[in-house]
Order: sequence, then C-alpha cells, then structure tokens
Amino acid sequence: MPSEITDINWSMLMPQLVIVATLFIVLVFDMFDSISKKMHAWMTIVGSGIALVSTIQMLQAGTDETLFSNMFKVNSYSLFFNIIFLVSTILVALISISYLGRDDKKQGPYYLLILLATLGMMLMAAGNELIIVFLGLELMSLSLYVLASYFRESPASSEAGMKYLLLGAFASAFFLYGIALIYGAAGTTNIPEIISKLTVDNQSTPLTTSSLFLAGMFLLIVGFGFKVAIVPFHQWAPDVYEGAPTTIAAFISAGPKAAGFAAFLTIFIEALPKLPPEATGVIMFLAMLTMTVGNVIAIAQTNIKRMLAYSSIAHAGYVMVGLAAATPDGKSSAMFYLLVYCVMNIGAFGAVIMARTADGENLMISDYAGLGFRKPLLAIFMTTMLVSLAGFPPTAGFIGKLYLFKSAIGAELYLLVIVGALNTAISAFYYLRVVVTMYMREPEEELEFNPYPSTLVIGLTLAAVGIILIGILPSLLSTPA
Amino acid sequence: MLLSIVIFLPLLGVIAIALLRGLGANVVKWIALGTGLLTFIISISLYTGFDKTLIGFQTNPDFYQNLDWIPGIGASYHIGIDGISLWLVLLTTFLTPICILAAWNSVEKGLSGFMMSLLALETGMLGVFCALDLLLFFVFWEAMLIPMYFLIGIWGGERRIYATIKFVLYTMAGSALMLVGILALYFQNGDSFNLVQLLAAEESFTHANYLFLAFFIAFAIKVPLFPFHTWLPDAHVEAPTVGSVILAGVLLKMGTYGIVRFCLPLFPQAAADATSWVVPLAVIGIIYGALVAMVQPDLKKLVAYSSVSHLGFVVLGLFSQSGTGIQGSVLQMINHGLSTGALFLLVGMIYERRHSRMIVDFGGLAKKMPVFATIFLIVTLSSIGLPGLNGFVGEFKILLGSFVENAFSRWYVVFATSGVILAAVYMLWMYQRVMFGTPDSTNESLPDLNPRELAVLLPILLFIVWIGVYPNTFLEPMKSSVDAVAAEVKVKEEDTTPEVGQLINHEESQDTVVLELETAKLKKTDEEALTK
Repeated sequence: MPSEITDINWSMLMPQLVIVATLFIVLVFDMFDSISKKMHAWMTIVGSGIALVSTIQMLQAGTDETLFSNMFKVNSYSLFFNIIFLVSTILVALISISYLGRDDKKQGPYYLLILLATLGMMLMAAGNELIIVFLGLELMSLSLYVLASYFRESPASSEAGMKYLLLGAFASAFFLYGIALIYGAAGTTNIPEIISKLTVDNQSTPLTTSSLFLAGMFLLIVGFGFKVAIVPFHQWAPDVYEGAPTTIAAFISAGPKAAGFAAFLTIFIEALPKLPPEATGVIMFLAMLTMTVGNVIAIAQTNIKRMLAYSSIAHAGYVMVGLAAATPDGKSSAMFYLLVYCVMNIGAFGAVIMARTADGENLMISDYAGLGFRKPLLAIFMTTMLVSLAGFPPTAGFIGKLYLFKSAIGAELYLLVIVGALNTAISAFYYLRVVVTMYMREPEEELEFNPYPSTLVIGLTLAAVGIILIGILPSLLSTPA
Repeated sequence: MLLSIVIFLPLLGVIAIALLRGLGANVVKWIALGTGLLTFIISISLYTGFDKTLIGFQTNPDFYQNLDWIPGIGASYHIGIDGISLWLVLLTTFLTPICILAAWNSVEKGLSGFMMSLLALETGMLGVFCALDLLLFFVFWEAMLIPMYFLIGIWGGERRIYATIKFVLYTMAGSALMLVGILALYFQNGDSFNLVQLLAAEESFTHANYLFLAFFIAFAIKVPLFPFHTWLPDAHVEAPTVGSVILAGVLLKMGTYGIVRFCLPLFPQAAADATSWVVPLAVIGIIYGALVAMVQPDLKKLVAYSSVSHLGFVVLGLFSQSGTGIQGSVLQMINHGLSTGALFLLVGMIYERRHSRMIVDFGGLAKKMPVFATIFLIVTLSSIGLPGLNGFVGEFKILLGSFVENAFSRWYVVFATSGVILAAVYMLWMYQRVMFGTPDSTNESLPDLNPRELAVLLPILLFIVWIGVYPNTFLEPMKSSVDAVAAEVKVKEEDTTPEVGQLINHEESQDTVVLELETAKLKKTDEEALTK
C-alpha cells in the first residue's frame, strides 16, 4: 500500500493540524514577555474553535477514510469524539482564565499542555492501530501528569501529580503488555484486522478461545480501566481530583475519560459479541460494580471535589452499560452520554470555581450553605449541572441515561439496567444534598465571595443552556450510529 | 392546541415571574394568580368541548396532538385526554389558583421562587395526566419532582430536609423500575413509546407480570399503598400548607391515575392475578391509616394518615374489576383532592393564627371562629363520607362495585367498610376536641376567616356539595372511558357472577341501576335533612 507522504490527504487531518498549529503559536508567543499572557487562553479557545468547526464540517460531509496504511481513521466515530474533546477543551480554557489569575509565569505551559493532551486524545479516538492508540494515550497522560502537579507550591497538587504518574505508568505498562500478548496471538496490532480474525464465515475461530489472546484483552481492560477510572482500578481518581487544580480536575474528568472510552469502544464494541459470553459478563460486572461503588462512596464525601470524583467514577459505570450492550445502538448512546457527561461535569467543576472566596476555594459541601439566595446565579448553575448529573428530566443527563438504558434493554441486559436505574436513585441523594445545602440551610459564617469573572459566566452559561436545550430537544444532537 | 396551552401556560407564568420579579412581591403574586386563574378558565373549555360519546381519547385537534419529539427513538409529543384524565386536569387547574391565593401572605422568603415552583409543578402534573407517550409521561413524572422537592425543602417545617429527600428518593426508586418497564415495553411496541398503540395491542406482552410490577411499584409508592406509605406523613407534615394541598390533592392521584391508565389496561391478566395481594394491602392501608390517624396528636399528621386510608379505598375500587368500582375510584380521586385539600388549607389557616397544630392546644374554637368551624364541619363530614356530600358517592360506588362484582374482594370489603366508621371516629373526635369546650386564653383572640380565606375555601365547598348532590355531572363524561378500562380487566370467570346481584341483574346495565339506587338514597337523605 503506498504510504508516501505526498499521497496523504492532509485535509483529512485538518482538526489535528489546527491544534498543532495553535500549539506552536502558543509556544512561540510564550517566549515574548511583551505579549500579554492572557492571549494564550484565547488562542487556545480560538484554535480549538476552528478545529471544532472543521470537525463538524467533515462530520456533516460524511467523511469516512483511513490514512497512513490503515492506521488512522477519519470517520463519524473519530470525528464525534473530536467534538467531545474540543468542546471540553474550550470549556476548560474558559473556566481556567480567571482561575489561573494574573500570574504570568503560569499561563504559557498550562495551555500548551492542555493542547498537547487534546491532541493525544484525538489520536486515541482516531487510532485504528493499537500502537497509535498507545501513542495517543501516552501523549495525553504525560501532559496530564504535569498538569495535575501544576501548582507546585501546593503539596496536595504535587502529591496528585505523583500519584497519577505512578498509577498511570502502571496502567500504561498493563496496556502495552496487553498489546504485546494480542500481537503474539493474532499476529497484528491493527484493530479491524484483529476483529476480522475473530470470526471466519460467522464461525468463531480458535483465536477467540486462545488464552494468550484473552489474557491480552483482559490486560487491555485493566489498562483502560485505570484510565477511565472504573472500579477496582479507580483509587487514584479521588486523590488526584482533590489535589489537582480544580480546572485540571475538570479536564481530567472529562476529555481523557472520553478518550479512554473512545479507544475502549473501538476495540470492544465489535470484539465483545465475538468473544466468549464470559467477556460480556466481565464488562457487565465491572459496570455494575463501578456504578454502585462510585455512587455509594460519593454519599460519604464532605469535600465537593472528592464527591465529584466518585460521581465521575459512577458515570464511567453508566457508559460501560452502553459498552456491555455491544451494539451499534450501545456505541452511539455511549458517545452521546460521554459528550453530555463532559459538558455537565466541567460545568459542575466550573461552579465550584465560581464559589471561590478571597481566601481561596470553598471545597467543603457545608461551605455552600445559603448560596441559593445569596448567590442565585451560582446556585442555578450548580443546580442545573447536578440535576443533570443525577439524570432528572428535562436535562441532557436524563436523555443520555435513557439512551444507554434503552440500548442495554435492546440487548436484553435487564439486570444491568435495573442496577443502573436504581443507582440513579442513589446518586440523586448526594447530588441533591448539595442543592439542599445551597437552598435549605443557613450559612454558619458569612463568606466574602469574589465577583463572578465574566469568562466563567460565559462558559457556564454555554454549558447550562446546552444541557437544558439537549434535554428538551435531544434530536438537535444526533450521534453517528 | 388548547390542551397544550393549558399545560404550558403555567410555565409561561414561571418565565414571566423570573423576568419581572424585580418589580416586587405584589407583581409576582398577581402574575402567579393571573396565570393560575387563566389556566383554569381555559381548562373549563376542555369540559364544555368534551365529547362524552367518544370511547377512548378525544380526537378533536384541540384536545389531541401528536408531533415528533425525538424521531430517532420513536418518542413523540403526544397528548390527549379521555374521561378519566379530564377530571384530573380540571382538579389540577382548579386547585393551583386556590393554592396561590392560600399562600398569599404566608411565604416569608423567596416568594418568587415559591410561585415559580408552584406553577412549574402545575405544568408537570398536567403533563403527567395528558401524556400519551410513555417517555413524555416519564419526563413529566420525574421533572415534577424537582419543584416539589424545593417546595417542601425550602418552605417546609422543621424536619423539611429529611422529608423532602425521603420523598424524592422513594419516588425515584420507584420510577427507576418504571423506566426499565417502559423501555421493555418500547421494544415490544415496535420501537415506539406510543401509548395509544400499546392500548390497542391485542395480545398480551411477554413478561407481563414483571412489567406490571415495574409500573405498579412506582405507582404504589406514589399513591401511597401500604407498606410504601412511610414517606407520606413526613412529607405532609413538613410541607408548607400549599405543598400539602398539592401533594394530597393532585400528586397522590398521579399514582392512582397511573394504575388506571397503565397497569390495568396494559396488563389486564397480570392485574387480575395481582388482585389477590393488592386488595389485602389496600384494605390493610384503609384500616391501618384510620387507626394511626385516630391517635395522632398533630392535626396535619391526622389528615395525612387519613389520606393513606382514603387512598386505600381508591386502590380497592381500581382492582374491583368492575365498572362501578373503577368509576367510584376515579370520582374518589377528585373527592379526596377536594376534601383533603380543603382540610389541609383549614389546618394551615389555623396554624397561621396559632402557630400550633397540636390538637391539645385547641378547644372551643367554634365560639370564636364560627365561620371557620362551619366550613371545617362540612369538610370533615365530606371526608367521612356523609351522604349528600361528595365522599359518600365515591366510597359507596367503590364498596358496591367491589362487593357485588368481585367474588374475591367481597370479604375484604366487609373489613374495608369499617374504615368508613373509623373515619367518622377520628374525624369527629378531632373536631370535637378542636372546636368544642371552652377556649383557653391563647385561643380567645383568634380572628375568624377573612375574605381572602373565604375565597379560597368557598369554591371547594361548592364542588363538595355539587358532587354529593348531583354526581352525574362528573360521572357521565368519565363513563365510557371507565367502561373501556373495566372491559379490559373483567376476567370472564363463572364464579365472579354476582350472587347478591339478583337485585340489580336486570336487562339494564348495572351502572344505571347503581346510579338510580344511589340517587334514590341521596334523595332520601336529602329529604331527611330537609325535614329536620
């Protein structure tokens, strides 16, 4: 297959190229002290915005191609995930501007790393080849390790970065080992080829029962499990979310999780029906465990960042419901849910940032007492995000869960859906507790809140309007099947 | 279109309040009241334009709409009403402006939020009663939780947070199962949430028993049927007066409405099988609710437990498999909404004056507040089921239908009837302790009802008497819809042929005879009342 550089249709790589270009511009501008560092954030937003527009155009044009000797795919699947990543990046940049403050030294590398991580995620979603997926994963993860410890004067932040690095490195090793085993069994690392080797004329091949191959697949699950924080590979998440800068916690909980699932879904949605039924059993079991553990532990949290960390673990469990269904419907509902989840989760973290006082952040749930009437705008944003996370109509969170559960019922996984639906009720308890605190409790002391930064308000308004609009008219957002 | 206007007009009021709340409390109140009244006035034309001869849902485009909503998954904005939902819609639009007026001066903080919650709640409730699409129904069912959650949680009493969370979690746990049921039905309905299509389906659904349970538990929690009732007393006691009125008046009816709209016609065989355990539970609820109500020291708790008892009757009637019983149940839903709503309003009015709801704190109010005492008496009697007032008609039909037409329920009815006597015991005893005797010093200076409070109560009294004296106004429009449901569930077995029914087993339809029987009795009691 010809793979000379001139044969490559570069226009297919438009979104990635725009991100790379933005990255260089930020890098170069960072060298000149005379240029206001505030520009970086806006450059990131504009760059991601252009990439987003070109992604949407390509999606509408129905692009479906592979590049680089079938290693790289540009189709509705990868493009939709690009939308998820870019929307997350734009929202995170919007909530970061006020959070980083005026300290110039901090700005350059921050946005640079965010853009690098975004590029890594886009590679993961586009990878048709386990090696490409791994490259993307590492590019993303390394940027995130640095970002998690970005506030180096804060011990908590350094600790978060360290923990993330150590556990992340383990996960990468598992993942790489899994790739090696799969290569040993299947003789290729190309995902469509691996999947096509699983069946011949609709008959399962010996590969599906080969212990080498199954061990490799299991290690992949472990590796992805770490990245998307599913139980029992979730322990890093609460500590990292708590210690990392809040904007980065928002970022880690959104894009990278979606990217992990992008690669996870690429491999497993098609492989799962062809593997022995125990494989689906494992995924189902992990999904139920993840939802239940995440939600139950979240109830006990007093720190809102930790609560959101456990909630994001539970949400990974919901997405796994779509994965367990292993149907096109399951895939598209998981994609829909990931987009919605990213927006509402970043929104929730954004509302946490909004509640900062002059003394720093307010992270205890009890600090939110009385905000409902003192800070109505903040309380409305927070309530919208939490109500959507809890899955109440008319919000996008409800529609997302509905799609997921529908796909699983379509695959006749009744038990999984019953557990999922009951988990929704459990989760309502702790999400609503924050709302209770805001509207129904009186504050113990009067806190001096900072005035709302306009960029934060813009970011949260976009997120809230989006969530309610999609909640009422879900057909505005159609996921590729 | 008309129906959509009725459903969404309150939401328009919410937006108007959100935009104009800066103009002061009075503007907010008048916008809320205006919206509520306008919605009620428009909804009256639902009654005047209602075609009683139609079986099933009204087909007039004013009453029926079917638009694409989420075409990708076969969900539509599909609304319509029949003779059953008509009355619940009217009950909702009737009670909401009354509630707004009742809350006129009692909200201290966050008035605009209160009125917005109330109006948003109205839209949610109306949506539940009108939705003909399972998903749309579920969306309204869940969305309505949020304003109610705020109403109890922000404006409620001491233990409001506990009560509101309990209320939400109970409901959500039930509706989570219902969602699974809805989705399972969806796939059996050719990937569509269309309820009309489901109702028309000839053969029964696979796993009908489980599906029935998934729906029934959600509704049983809402009703609440014993043993799912524990959230109700908490929610009622802690809710603000208006919250209790809406809760008792309309929200609980969503459960019984769900049973008559979904459980019975969709899974008739499963419902018939379930009779063997639902009816005992309903009867336990009737007696248990009444006994617990009897010993309550708190007026509001007493009324709350009386609700458990009254709704037991409604469930009993719904599972009687007889047109008469179901008709009685639907009527009793309205009756309970009016009587219990009025009782909560009265308790709220006295609480505003005295800041206590403990029965021991009162006594001799009849001397100081004669108007209040008179109205309280009428409402109390209506709640007991005195002939001539609304409660009698509903309860009588429920008991008659269950006794005559259902061999299984018959002996349970014997026990259920004791609930009527117990109701008289706890209500009249409460009335005696509160109203008679000599007022102590704190009760000496309580003022009687003011014109606003009279305006709140008199419309309810009007309907209490109207239904009691001439129930046909209400029974006739619902007849064909109820008969359709009853025809679905009627299991054609030999042993269900009435034995006592010789009396009414003429060539005429049973319903007409029952009606005649009733009206005859009513006339008699009226005459008695007159001669006295």
